[in-house]
Amino acid sequence: MATTAAPAGGARSGAGPEWGGFEENIQGGGSAVIDMENMDDTSGSSFEDMGELHQRLREEEVDADAAAAEEEDGEFLGMKGFKGQLSRQVADQMWQAGKRQASRAFSLYANIDILRPYFDVEPAQVRSRLLESMIPIKMVNFPQKIAGELYGPLMLVFTLVAILLHGMKTSDTIIREGTLMGTAIGTCFGYWLGVSSFIYFLAYLCNAQITMLQMLALLGYGLFGHCIVLFVTYNIHLHALFYVFWLLVGGLSTLRMVAVLVSRTVGPTQRLLLCGTLAALHMLFLLYLHFAYHKVVEGILDTLEGPDIPPMQRVPRDVPAALPAARLSAIVLNATAKAVAVTLQSH
Amino acid sequence: MMQPQQPYTGQIFQPTQAYTPTTPQPFYGNSFEDEPPLLEELGINFDHIWQKTLTVLHPLKVADGSIMNETDLAGPMVFCLAFGATLLLAGKIQFGYVYGISAIGCLGMFCLLNLMSMTGVSFGCVASVLGYCLLPMILLSSFAVIFSLQGMVGIILTAGIIGWCSFSASKIFISALAMEGQQLLVAYPCALLYGVFALISVF
Repeated sequence: MATTAAPAGGARSGAGPEWGGFEENIQGGGSAVIDMENMDDTSGSSFEDMGELHQRLREEEVDADAAAAEEEDGEFLGMKGFKGQLSRQVADQMWQAGKRQASRAFSLYANIDILRPYFDVEPAQVRSRLLESMIPIKMVNFPQKIAGELYGPLMLVFTLVAILLHGMKTSDTIIREGTLMGTAIGTCFGYWLGVSSFIYFLAYLCNAQITMLQMLALLGYGLFGHCIVLFVTYNIHLHALFYVFWLLVGGLSTLRMVAVLVSRTVGPTQRLLLCGTLAALHMLFLLYLHFAYHKVVEGILDTLEGPDIPPMQRVPRDVPAALPAARLSAIVLNATAKAVAVTLQSH
Repeated sequence: MMQPQQPYTGQIFQPTQAYTPTTPQPFYGNSFEDEPPLLEELGINFDHIWQKTLTVLHPLKVADGSIMNETDLAGPMVFCLAFGATLLLAGKIQFGYVYGISAIGCLGMFCLLNLMSMTGVSFGCVASVLGYCLLPMILLSSFAVIFSLQGMVGIILTAGIIGWCSFSASKIFISALAMEGQQLLVAYPCALLYGVFALISVF
């Protein structure tokens, strides 16, 4: 049955899916075989008809492919062979397949458009949000508004990366640049995305009313304080200054985030858990960022600002000039011995 | 009976041609005079390159939005190479870093500008603009060949050059994409990118 159906199928026009059972047989002029299968199309059950419909469609597809393949073979072997026609068709099919894959990948790009409304900001809005991120609000009785945008947080994370890179550069050699960039980007983005997700998970457990986007925006703007502290303390190396800034500036931005979360959470235990975790992580991150690169800076400072030792030092064998009480004439001593004497005298 | 025969106009005993060229084939070439000039074929237009360079070098000159319609990557390639060469003169062999950072930076700016603008922007346009605005950075790195940039003068000069580059880039972007009022928002990521280039020059 199937083999007799094939040539008849190939000769069929596109009227297959319809009820033209008899007409198909008349149109299938190339075959002298009457397809008995189609004679039963007048049966009453629609279920069987649908099944036959699908079967016919599938057969048609297979036949169309077979016919195309046969056509190709015919051309290759046949008289109108233009030598490159087969290769051109193969190339065409490859191009179509590649195009299909590329358009599928490109439609993935359309998913980035989901983020489009979160980047629709004005400079004045960004400025005001930056300033507000340092001001904790006392009203915790009703949920505070969080701006759901991603431009400000993203730029702040990149700024933190740049500040880290600058700090690493002022205290380290040039050779390790590639890993410096990777470390900085990994640290900052890892903190922003990882801690946001973690706090969002905790917020889900504690029944807090906050979405992932709002959490990302909140934590992103909270990094503004970190940027300020690190920018100042990477250039002015005083421990006391760092601790003051850490408590003040870091504390302010943490308090702001905590206040927002408290206003959106119900229940003292939940509030304590959520806000304690966030405060601890935020303050400890600033501490880590400072001290991860601080030791290197300190080492360099000791070398640069330490005792002034001349580069080439030849100590004479007998050192009577080292004794501050001894006085020898200037002709006898050379410059190096005099320098040694001066150094030892200053101590 | 012989009748006066019509002259035979058929093609007996002559093989039919399978393919008659009705249009001149490009392979066998038009005549030499009909070919477009080489630079035009390659898409290098020196006048446009000069116009764009002047737009970058005059930060206060109003940018024409249409100059970025054709994406020209020849100029930016030359500028990246010149930047690497001036770094080489200072003893830093960092061509790889220059190209890597410019590729990643262009990708980042491309994503950001597509998200922020009403009309989209092509990657070639972004790469072209960012490459042209690298020109003042070449001045900085050539200055670094002779003088060290790690003093107060160096910091001020670096900050000025970064501002110049990012101001020019943002000016061209907002005139090409019609994003009025968002120049600072576009300038800041450009400043971060050129800051990384400046870090390579300074340290």
